[in-house]
Amino acid sequence: MNMWAPVSIIFFKEVLDNARDRRSLLIALIYPLLGPILLGLMLSAVGKVTVGGADQDLTIHVKGIEHGNLLVDWLTNKGVKVVEAPEDPKAAVRNGDLDVVVVVAPEFNDLAKAEKTAPVTVIINSSRLNGLVLVNQVVTLLGTFNTEVWGERIARRGVDFRSLQPIAIDSLNVTSGAHIADILLFMVPPLFVFNLFMGGAYLSIDTTSGERERGSLEPLLINPIERSALVAGKFLAALFYTGIAIVVQLLAFKIAFYLSSGSSGFSQSLSLFNMAAILIITMPLMIAAVSVQFIIATVTRSFKEAQTYLGLLPLVPALPGMILVFAPVKISIWMTLIPAYSQTLLFGQLLRGEALSPLHIALSMTSTLALAAALFLITIRLYEREELIFGS
Amino acid sequence: MIDVHKLTKTFQSVTALGGINFVARDGEVTGLIGPNGAGKTTALRIIYTVMQPNGGTVHVDGFNTVDDRLNVQQRIGVLPDGRGLYPRLTAREHIRYYGRLHGLKGTALENRIEQLNADLSMADFIDRRAKGFSKGQTRKITLARALVHEPQNLLLDEPTNGLDISSSRAVHRLIRDVRDQGRCVLFCSHIMSEVASICDRIVVISGGLIAADGTVQELMSQTGSDNLDDVFLRLTGGLTGGATASTGEEGRV
Repeated sequence: MNMWAPVSIIFFKEVLDNARDRRSLLIALIYPLLGPILLGLMLSAVGKVTVGGADQDLTIHVKGIEHGNLLVDWLTNKGVKVVEAPEDPKAAVRNGDLDVVVVVAPEFNDLAKAEKTAPVTVIINSSRLNGLVLVNQVVTLLGTFNTEVWGERIARRGVDFRSLQPIAIDSLNVTSGAHIADILLFMVPPLFVFNLFMGGAYLSIDTTSGERERGSLEPLLINPIERSALVAGKFLAALFYTGIAIVVQLLAFKIAFYLSSGSSGFSQSLSLFNMAAILIITMPLMIAAVSVQFIIATVTRSFKEAQTYLGLLPLVPALPGMILVFAPVKISIWMTLIPAYSQTLLFGQLLRGEALSPLHIALSMTSTLALAAALFLITIRLYEREELIFGS
Repeated sequence: MIDVHKLTKTFQSVTALGGINFVARDGEVTGLIGPNGAGKTTALRIIYTVMQPNGGTVHVDGFNTVDDRLNVQQRIGVLPDGRGLYPRLTAREHIRYYGRLHGLKGTALENRIEQLNADLSMADFIDRRAKGFSKGQTRKITLARALVHEPQNLLLDEPTNGLDISSSRAVHRLIRDVRDQGRCVLFCSHIMSEVASICDRIVVISGGLIAADGTVQELMSQTGSDNLDDVFLRLTGGLTGGATASTGEEGRV
């Protein structure tokens, strides 16, 4: 037999064995969906609150359209659709039928003609987040109306109103989707890293400490195969399940983004090309993750002990990514040398549509691969010890 | 043939084997007997390569168990102390897995599995998953996977432990068949009567040392007793020391 024959025999046995195990399948196929579902729901909720039709035609409900010709004409000129508000505007806003209603006082026209201050009431419901953006837009529009009319009036008196305005405020949002909800994108990499350290965990335990507890390890080790081939076969099986978990999760993210925000922005940044790039860039991390799982599952005394540690393990590499959600950093060389952290940053860049530096990718992959190789060698060493079979 | 020479093994301060010598020849069933904790399982584990000796050597068909591990492993079929199964694999898949790891494949392997199926009467459960198998069924699978590659040397650690009489007899028959094919069987037990009925030669191990080595007749004349249990107890110090051999939980060293 050549070196690879036993590796493939063990690989296929472990893949088949675990395909018949509900727990392995749950972790490889169902667990990865949780992050995307959660994020998809948050995205669609936050999207409604913050976007609230900012890109669409703005409609403002006005009570007393007939009293406010000057304002209504001005709004219409700005492209705003002005609609008559219901009979009881307060009730409509309180019930959530409308987010905001502008009430024009009956004396508005007369006061406006006389160039006096005319009262306008904006009815909002501050306990409802949904209308936040619309309210903001309405108030901004009214402010602009105020400034323009005031400017015209003062200009007629021979004063350039611009000399009375110290600054002109304009803001420009440069994220690819131009949404506030883009911040949620930062949550994708840590969820991805968590899943990467989780996907093959059950198989890693089952094929090492599980095999020892079942008493099937001792007879297995008597077969004429090198320990390295034995480890490699089991290792590749765990890697295979990790890969499945990752592909399932990426596809789920893609679908969740598509369903919650349409084909724009998010789902575009997870193109098939980008997904393939992520798989390649994170491959060394997968090898390192499975190595760590094997080492923990081999040195722990029992299946349960291994399960406890491996359940907590994914939190460690995912934590820096979670912090990045709230405090983003700009990637620099030293960061690309840190396994898990570098992949989190690179994935984040890819999602936000930034160009990835080949140097960063190369450094990230080489440093993580070096760690993975060292960990893999330790795993093989552990398998050569007698204590492997009989426990410590 | 298995040649054990000056074999020693210690676990921290405990000496499990204090330099044992014996030979298990082809065409013979050699019984390795001794009380619990005598070092039987330790000796077997070193012979079947999962443990390293502290001193001495073991040669299987001329191959050293430490330096030529893979060659030794190709020549041995083992029913080890640890005899667990994979609950989600069928009996047939278990045997096939081990057959493949020994380089068998295709029709040759499938035919061999069918032959073992017939020899060990596994037809009614061979395609069932191992979860919930009885002790007898489990033992048959573990024996089948030890025999799948038709090894020249068969090492059995208490193969009938926990089996009913008919299953035990089936195992005994199988051991004799293997012997009659000119192969070497090393059989480990602490039941003297069983060993006496199927072994051509008996090696008595006690306290990590060889207490006696010979045929049943030789051991009887050596101890001056015609009662097998007395022979065992005299050789292992059970009678002279006033203690009786334990038949309870097995303490493995």
